[in-house]
Amino acid sequence: MIAYIVRRLISMLPVMAVVALFVFLLLHLAPGDPAAIIAGDNATVENIAAIRKALGLDEPLWKQLLVWVWSLIQGDLGKSMFWNEPVTTLIRQRMEPTIALAGTTLFFAVAIAITLGVTAAARVGTGIDRFVMGLAVVGFSVPVFVTGYLLIFLFAIQLKWLPVQGYTPIAEGVGPWIHNLVLPSIALGLAYVALIARITRTTMLDVLAEDYMRTARAKGVAPRPMLLKHALKNAAVPIVTVIGIGVALLIGGVVITETVFNIPGIGRLVVDAIARRDYPIIQGVIMLFSGVYVLVNLLVDLSYTVLDPRIRY
Amino acid sequence: MFKITRRGALQGGLAVAASVGAPAIVRGQTRPSAARTIRAVFHGDVPTYDPIWTTANMAAYAGGMVYDTLFGIDEQQNPKPQMVGKWGLSDDKLKYTFELRDGLKWTDGTPVTTADVLPSLKRWAARDGGGQHMMLRVKDIAAKDEKTFTIELKEKYGLVLDILAKTSTPVCFIMRKKEAETDPMQKIEQVVGSGPFKLNLDETKPGTQYVYDRNPDYVPRSDAPSGIAGGKVVKVDRVIFVNMPDAQTAVAAVQAGEIDFYEIPPTDLLPQLEGDKNIKIQVLNPLGQVGQIRLNFLHPPFDNEKARQAMLYIVKQSDYMKATFGDSKYAKVCPSYFGMGTPMENDANTDWFKGGQNFAKAKEMFKEAGYDGRPIVLLQATNIPYMNNSAMILAQEMRQVGLNVQVEPMDWSNVVQRRANKAAPNQGGWNIFITSSGGNAIGNPILLAAHAATGDKAWFGWPSDAKQEELRDKWAVADTLEARKAVGRELQANAWKFVPQLYYGQWVQPAAVRSNINGLLPVAEIIPWWNVTKG
Amino acid sequence: MAVIAETPRPAPGLAGAFGKFARRNPTIVLGGALLLATALVAIFAPWIAGNDPRFMAPTNRLQPPSAQFWFGTDNLGRDIFARTVYGARISLIVGLTVAVVSVAIGLAIGLAAGYYRKLDGVVMRVMDGMMAIPAILLAIALVSLNRASVWIVIVAITIPEVPRVVRLVRSVVLTTREQPFIEAAIGGGSRDWKIILRHLLPSTVAPLVVQATYITASAILIEAALSFLGAGVPPEIPTWGNMIATSRLFLARAPWTIFFPGACLALVILAVNLVGDGLRDRLDPRLARRM
Repeated sequence: MIAYIVRRLISMLPVMAVVALFVFLLLHLAPGDPAAIIAGDNATVENIAAIRKALGLDEPLWKQLLVWVWSLIQGDLGKSMFWNEPVTTLIRQRMEPTIALAGTTLFFAVAIAITLGVTAAARVGTGIDRFVMGLAVVGFSVPVFVTGYLLIFLFAIQLKWLPVQGYTPIAEGVGPWIHNLVLPSIALGLAYVALIARITRTTMLDVLAEDYMRTARAKGVAPRPMLLKHALKNAAVPIVTVIGIGVALLIGGVVITETVFNIPGIGRLVVDAIARRDYPIIQGVIMLFSGVYVLVNLLVDLSYTVLDPRIRY
Repeated sequence: MFKITRRGALQGGLAVAASVGAPAIVRGQTRPSAARTIRAVFHGDVPTYDPIWTTANMAAYAGGMVYDTLFGIDEQQNPKPQMVGKWGLSDDKLKYTFELRDGLKWTDGTPVTTADVLPSLKRWAARDGGGQHMMLRVKDIAAKDEKTFTIELKEKYGLVLDILAKTSTPVCFIMRKKEAETDPMQKIEQVVGSGPFKLNLDETKPGTQYVYDRNPDYVPRSDAPSGIAGGKVVKVDRVIFVNMPDAQTAVAAVQAGEIDFYEIPPTDLLPQLEGDKNIKIQVLNPLGQVGQIRLNFLHPPFDNEKARQAMLYIVKQSDYMKATFGDSKYAKVCPSYFGMGTPMENDANTDWFKGGQNFAKAKEMFKEAGYDGRPIVLLQATNIPYMNNSAMILAQEMRQVGLNVQVEPMDWSNVVQRRANKAAPNQGGWNIFITSSGGNAIGNPILLAAHAATGDKAWFGWPSDAKQEELRDKWAVADTLEARKAVGRELQANAWKFVPQLYYGQWVQPAAVRSNINGLLPVAEIIPWWNVTKG
Repeated sequence: MAVIAETPRPAPGLAGAFGKFARRNPTIVLGGALLLATALVAIFAPWIAGNDPRFMAPTNRLQPPSAQFWFGTDNLGRDIFARTVYGARISLIVGLTVAVVSVAIGLAIGLAAGYYRKLDGVVMRVMDGMMAIPAILLAIALVSLNRASVWIVIVAITIPEVPRVVRLVRSVVLTTREQPFIEAAIGGGSRDWKIILRHLLPSTVAPLVVQATYITASAILIEAALSFLGAGVPPEIPTWGNMIATSRLFLARAPWTIFFPGACLALVILAVNLVGDGLRDRLDPRLARRM
């Protein structure tokens, strides 16, 4: 097991190297650089060139790449080109809202989706089943920002139940914290509910059709415990897999949701940085997101051993 | 319902937040009460702490909190001493002597001396157009002692104080020797000022909020505040610059009392705010912004004066203003080359405007200019709404005249990069780009880089006109307002003949302010937070 | 329709076959009909729209829906109906192009990686890396760093889709090449390209068709998101995403500016997903149970 984890962690290295190289080239080969923005409205062409030089952007590309990779290896993401803070500090400051948003979304989505999926599987072919499956397709089709604005219009502007925007740190009270997270979590979570409800339903149906389930039923195990204890446990593997795949979706969704609801998280940090060409921040955040993606997928693989004792590494 | 609980919770939760959100060092500190804290949202994010390195207005807003200036303009745009106490000008008008006033101290405890001032002037002048204009005429800047220094001129020059006092960026902020000696092309690493506030780095989160605490050691002047001149008496404990890019969000926040000040509520949302008794709408910068359409002199068709003049008959300013600002009393047309409401405003050579939009005439003039149907490249900044809208309207108008407009959409960062390119439009260059400048700057023929007509050395578009340059020099040495106004008329008459740029309107931006906030000082391009009270 | 009316009991002709197909595959038919309608609207936009979608008349701004402007006007006084109709074009062009291009590239790489085992390690590491980069961020960066154009948007959305296709194709190839007839072909000295084209390629078609519909849906979604974030196609070109983005200020005052493009966007993605689900159920029952 430990050997497997170590092997998997090592295999992350080439993946992250590809990410690093790709992101670096993407940024540095594109037109537009921070120097012109720093130089400002009244700057001359000479000013811009001088600032570019001062930022080290006139160095050959391979040299800039080596410098960046070298500091990356030492765990240093560099400093923002515009502020004096290191990128790691900036990311740390923005982490809470993003984690809170992703966490609440995932939590509620999984809870709701599994309930819906199990219900649909238990009543397969009925109106409830059809309704859940229809909801799933629709939920997957409406873009986050459309849902977001519909929710804002309804619950914040018309009914005035919930705030339009913003984020309150959890330290300022769980009440206000949740208050601000309700609408964004629903907007972002809808696609997950759809995705996970569908997979839950189909795997449940698969499991219910297995021999041992039939045996259990024949032995007179009550339907409800059977559904929850036996079937759901066996259906867990594919569900967890989907959650792992969903992380990529979630990261993308977070970026948009943070914009719609003005949540000062990492997504906003990187979108602002792109507009300003703050290379170290863009590079740092993409490395971070990619790392999270790879790690989550590792965790998903490891969770299989817990959920399904037949799987061993 | 929600408002009450949320605000209650906010106040109750502050102490907890302080201990969790901030690093260990500050845990003992207490935060000022909400009643002594102002939360303000501006037009953008503070891009950097160095207001010399970056000329963005937000950097100047932030700079104005922590740094002080030698002189400052008052509400009427007149320069008044600020860090300087006594000063004098020699009889031949060639030598200024300045003495720093008493009590000036850096937040690290050391006194402000001429050893700080001289390198600060040097670094600022390396980046400022006005500063450069002045330095060309300066023979020597020297320190006589720790508190006294002199500026000696080669020739008579009336703008020294105006340039030191101006609020257009980069503002001549005085920094500590250590920071002032930084390469002007590189940013400073530490924020140590001698101004009325100090930056609280422990609670600042770049991109989210910037926290400024009252500087208890600051000794304000005793005269009444006006513009950025006079006594900078701070009447609250803390001002927080909150970054909130979405307008809808910010308007909702100011209505809910989550913030006290929002600089740029969109005109479309103003009716909503005007009906709210907790909010007042206040114009802080009555000169506002003037929208500019820059034409590239280096390439056809705008290397031809006739083609540039024809553009005057194409642009209908009221459409541009309506598109972005709706039926707003805050936007107007601007036929004067020096902006409306500025001391230099006049109506010389504005027949093109009085006659209104005239496509037939424009068509005729383009024909005379020998326009051959080649694509005219228009750079469109898509992420700044008024520029984005204006570019689309301009393209539509020009197409109605039969011009072959090629709109090149990109974000503002790319426009900034691209406009510096002198190559032909089909080889990475351009014909037209759209921007805007402060009305105060537009009204000054010297300070605004865009007013230079020095060809290759001029601002983007590189207009070239010997007569204009002659007149600008004449304006710089004119010593009475009346004399300047007379030259201003000549400058405008000539400008609307060779057309270095066109305008698409002038607008002021009213701010949304909670009713319990008082004492905001009207001034262009900086928002002073001294003198402001809450409650 | 007239044909059915004339013949009381439909012979096993075209119409009859279609009716049977429709009964068995309601989702494909419903989704397909919606898509067809959208495609027709997109193609015949100039005739349907009535007004010029780009024409700005600032004096007409923010008019509610009326006889003259069916869907109302936006903040620049442009006709929202005309813009919504033209908006269908971009969504479909982007969706279909991305699907075709990413499937083509992914197929080529996937076949190569699955067949030539030496390539596999390197190719798959690169693909893993590309998959790890959040697609939306990659697209935002690519688009805003370059100048806005439909092509950049297509490239930006295609890049992150490619590794997903590669993975799918590779896994199909890996299972297929274990089959005795392929091993026999390899042993028999058939040329590589023959084996790939004749034996491996056909087995990828069914799963790829299904995958392509999902890519289409996700491409339409990402294009809209990019336009929404202001990093999309040029603002002069009406798209549902940028219509929503520019109208968000007017949500309270003029909800129609957001409602119509938003509804169309959701509807088209729904249609593509319905077709995808239907195809999956038909072409690949095994996959259907998995998804």
